[in-house]
Amino acid sequence: MVAAVEVRGLHKSFGALTVLQGVDLCIGEKEVVSVIGPSGSGKSTLARCICCLEEIQQGEILLHGERVDGGRLRNKAMAHLVGMIFQQFNLWPHLTTLENVCLAPVRVLGLAPEAAQERGAALLERVGLGNKLGARPAQLSGGQQQRVAIARALAMEPRIMLFDEPTSALDPELVGEVLEVMTDLAASGMTMLIITHEMLFAREVSHRVIFMADGNIVEEGTPEALFLNPRMPRTKSFLHRMSAHFGTALVAEEGGRR
Amino acid sequence: MTLDFSVLVPYGHMFVQGLLVTVKASLFGLSMGVVIGVLVGALRVVPILPLRALAATYIYVIRGTPLLIQLFLIYFGLPSLGINLPAFVAGIIGIGINSGGYVGEIVRGGIEGVPKGHWEAARVLGLSYGQTMRCIILPQAVRNMLPAFGNEFVTLIKESSLLSTLAITELTMVGQQVRSVTYASFETFLLVGGIYLLLTSVAGGALQLLEKRWQVR
Repeated sequence: MVAAVEVRGLHKSFGALTVLQGVDLCIGEKEVVSVIGPSGSGKSTLARCICCLEEIQQGEILLHGERVDGGRLRNKAMAHLVGMIFQQFNLWPHLTTLENVCLAPVRVLGLAPEAAQERGAALLERVGLGNKLGARPAQLSGGQQQRVAIARALAMEPRIMLFDEPTSALDPELVGEVLEVMTDLAASGMTMLIITHEMLFAREVSHRVIFMADGNIVEEGTPEALFLNPRMPRTKSFLHRMSAHFGTALVAEEGGRR
Repeated sequence: MTLDFSVLVPYGHMFVQGLLVTVKASLFGLSMGVVIGVLVGALRVVPILPLRALAATYIYVIRGTPLLIQLFLIYFGLPSLGINLPAFVAGIIGIGINSGGYVGEIVRGGIEGVPKGHWEAARVLGLSYGQTMRCIILPQAVRNMLPAFGNEFVTLIKESSLLSTLAITELTMVGQQVRSVTYASFETFLLVGGIYLLLTSVAGGALQLLEKRWQVR
């Protein structure tokens, strides 16, 4: 079977700063993969490269067997393959939530406005915002805005969804509602790559977790393996720092096993 | 000294005429300036270097030279190339071209004021550059631009007084004509200044109203 996402030898630098140094990554269809790691490790850049928001210096990116890097694919084909959720939501403030969701289906897919609105309303209903169709982004909480952004991305019916720290800009009490939507999406069989600092969520929802540092994939494995039994010292120290921060024992105590 | 505005009363119709010409010239000039400005401003951010450079040069030259000289070039200069324009047409073209440079810079600022994330979201959703510009960036940019745009409109109304140098009988020219027959210089130009102030207040107020209505956040 062709992988949903295949990244080979990806190098990305911004001027003199090398951000990704030869990343290889393979994500199967319907697989949910979380990427964790310290800031500056290149996680976000990896996601941005996969959806072609960044030009890459070296390597190949294939989505469902199609080479996409270097702008090989037209906008529409690309939007059908991959959707992206941003940390800052990036909703368009001058449009209502429904208009935000419907714009691309109408303009890019050529859907009739009525059909797009039907699709948009159904998606907003699905993310729990069926009563906010006419609201402007500024009238919504961060959590609601991010859910609109998810509905907007889903409206293009992408085969892969990328999440670039979707809850990092949210107040703590709003994180849950977004993660809930993402959990439902994962359960529905969507292929997902999630860049996140939500360790517990990553552990629960992912089939596989990747730890990145300094532009490399340091370690990857099942959530159990990576969180409970990390092999690499860098992974261990990162997870220990994170569990100290969250006050939860993500990682088994030194020597102890569950 | 005493001010006696009554000597101006017989010339009231001339002031009204002059006011109308000033308003007409300002509106036409602004319309042309907006068309040129949106074009130049959009070119200023387009990802094609020669076009960007062209727009930048236009703005550089227009903003770096006096409107009066630009008007003289169009009205007195162009005839030597065989292009003879009526004074009013030359005046509007001059104001339009001039204002286009300033509006272009305002448009550029408005476009660049839209967060980069809005472009990125549009791009990932498959929208083309043109679609993104039209549906997402410009509608927001217009709101960003309104305050600066209001200033430009007010400036333009005031600068239209330079059209008197092309012998166009707009408000300032009327003032000079009335002064030369009544010798009531102070009264005449106080009145003319007052009318300009009224005009700029109305224009500024109208744009502020628009600004309030279009506010999103």
